[in-house]
Amino acid sequence: TASMEPSSTIELPDYLIKYIAIVSYEQRQNYKDDFNAEYDEYRALHARMETVARRFIKLDAQRKRLSPGSKEYQNVHEEVLQEYQKIKQSSPNYHEEKYRCEYLHNKLAHIKRLIGEFDQQQAESWH
Amino acid sequence: PLDASASGDVSCVDEILKEMTHSWPPPLTAIHTPCKTEPSKFPFPT
Repeated sequence: TASMEPSSTIELPDYLIKYIAIVSYEQRQNYKDDFNAEYDEYRALHARMETVARRFIKLDAQRKRLSPGSKEYQNVHEEVLQEYQKIKQSSPNYHEEKYRCEYLHNKLAHIKRLIGEFDQQQAESWH
Repeated sequence: PLDASASGDVSCVDEILKEMTHSWPPPLTAIHTPCKTEPSKFPFPT
């Protein structure tokens, strides 16, 4: 019955379906609990991703200042390759972790936005 | 000018840098507002 999904449709992330506009304090609390349940994992992943990115951004900047073909340029190239090898060895699931981090970022941002919107509505209705 | 191994690495290094220099948005901050108790003044319609 549902097997005729066109392959071109992009599936909505599950959290957009699961977390909708908040209408009660109980719902707010549940959403906040869900946010907190994954928040530590998210922060740890995010910190790791930032550290890795910072290292490569630094190498990239170094490379831009050097003239192609110079010894230093070549050294930076080798360093990039070594760093990349190191990451692949120390975290073979790097790409999954990166994807997970992006997913958690978007999911938690969505939940947080809903809570913020609810809080604002409450604040406005007290006046 | 580059030796064989060096020139072979160039596109690879470009790819790596393109992929790995993707910068992250600042981390989301925690949800601080307590909001555990309902305001007594406000009758919330259920």
